[in-house]
Amino acid sequence: MTPFPIRLVCGGLVAGALTILGGCVTSTVQEIRETNTGILPTDSIVVLGRRSRPSNAETELDFVSCVSKSVGNGRDKLNVIGEQTFLDAMFPWFEPRTAPVNARDLPRLIGSAPLAARMSELGLRYVVWIDGATRRTEQAGSLTCTASPAGAGCFGFLTWENDSSYEASIWDVRSGTSAGKISSDAVGTSYMPAVIVPLPFIAPVRSSACSTMGDQLKVFLQQKS
Amino acid sequence: MTEPVWRTTAWLVVVCLWLTGCGTARVSVPQQFPVPLVERIPLAMGVELNEALKTWAHTEKLESGREWQIELGSAQEPLFRSLLTGMFDRMTVLEGTPIGDAAVDGVLVPAIEELQFSTPDQTRTEYFEVWIRYRFQLLDRNGTLVAEWPLTAYGQSNARNFGGMQGQEPALQAAALAACRDAMAFFIVQFHQIPAVQTWLTAQQGARS
Repeated sequence: MTPFPIRLVCGGLVAGALTILGGCVTSTVQEIRETNTGILPTDSIVVLGRRSRPSNAETELDFVSCVSKSVGNGRDKLNVIGEQTFLDAMFPWFEPRTAPVNARDLPRLIGSAPLAARMSELGLRYVVWIDGATRRTEQAGSLTCTASPAGAGCFGFLTWENDSSYEASIWDVRSGTSAGKISSDAVGTSYMPAVIVPLPFIAPVRSSACSTMGDQLKVFLQQKS
Repeated sequence: MTEPVWRTTAWLVVVCLWLTGCGTARVSVPQQFPVPLVERIPLAMGVELNEALKTWAHTEKLESGREWQIELGSAQEPLFRSLLTGMFDRMTVLEGTPIGDAAVDGVLVPAIEELQFSTPDQTRTEYFEVWIRYRFQLLDRNGTLVAEWPLTAYGQSNARNFGGMQGQEPALQAAALAACRDAMAFFIVQFHQIPAVQTWLTAQQGARS
């Protein structure tokens, strides 16, 4: 047998294993609708990570940007204003010290002439606040690596479970009300067996929660329920 | 590998580890700040930024043995330019000009009194935190003190946002930048609530109308 088919078979086995083992993620998404929604092609939304004080919890920046990208891409894409662009344009009214805590604070903001003018300039229709985080909930196993003049290698088995739990609160800026909430949860187990070379099979927990959240947001805002 | 080469490599590794683990980590705050979106006060405000403020830096050696230097001074002029440009009809940085000659209604004199910071290792959290204590003086057009007040700003940054090979400096820099932005936000909220400032603003606007 020539070396090429052996490489092909090995590559196929590794790809297959990655697909099977790396894909162990369970996702669930739920939504609560409070008002009717709808969005015009000229309207924009912004996705913000919750950073209000005195809470110490902050949503990961890359999750917020992932949801922004997910909503801003694809067949039903919406106009999305970048988080930092929005924070700078509305400064200082969405900083941790001053940001509205709930939708009841919206009328006060919309009542300010400079803010209303800036929101209109940006075409802002919805503000989406994302709350939550990805945590490692379980881990087990051990892995040892050694190096010597003769060579190096690892032996062992590691496994860990990650849990992503995020909630998006959607505020309608035009009506000054809360439009609803979407929660996205994903749980997945990752493995890393090592016989000389460690082979990580990572469950894409956070990215799964992100794409589920992004898809559901598009459906929610375009009222395709 | 021959012995001298092996020894040199080992020493280089030790030196590199020492430099990355125990050297001084320097952090400076970016110099771009947004202009606040507020209704402008119809007055001309000057700001006096002295040398101590413009060169302000905090150096501290932690228990871990690592020394940190946070350089805030270079960010102060852009910070106060943006802040006062947004808040007042006109703003001027007084660069040695006597207050009486500056054609302003009032002069703000900011000073940094103290900076404190904490790392995730110290607090057993995921956050770098920075506190900056400012003290402000507001002088009238004759240089007489109208009001003086402190302001403590806070910024935090999640170390998990700066993983991989980035090191700890970007996370501390983000916390320091957040504290500077918080100082601007707090100043805007607080300015109209200080009784002496309220009285002065009313008098100035009354004199104009």
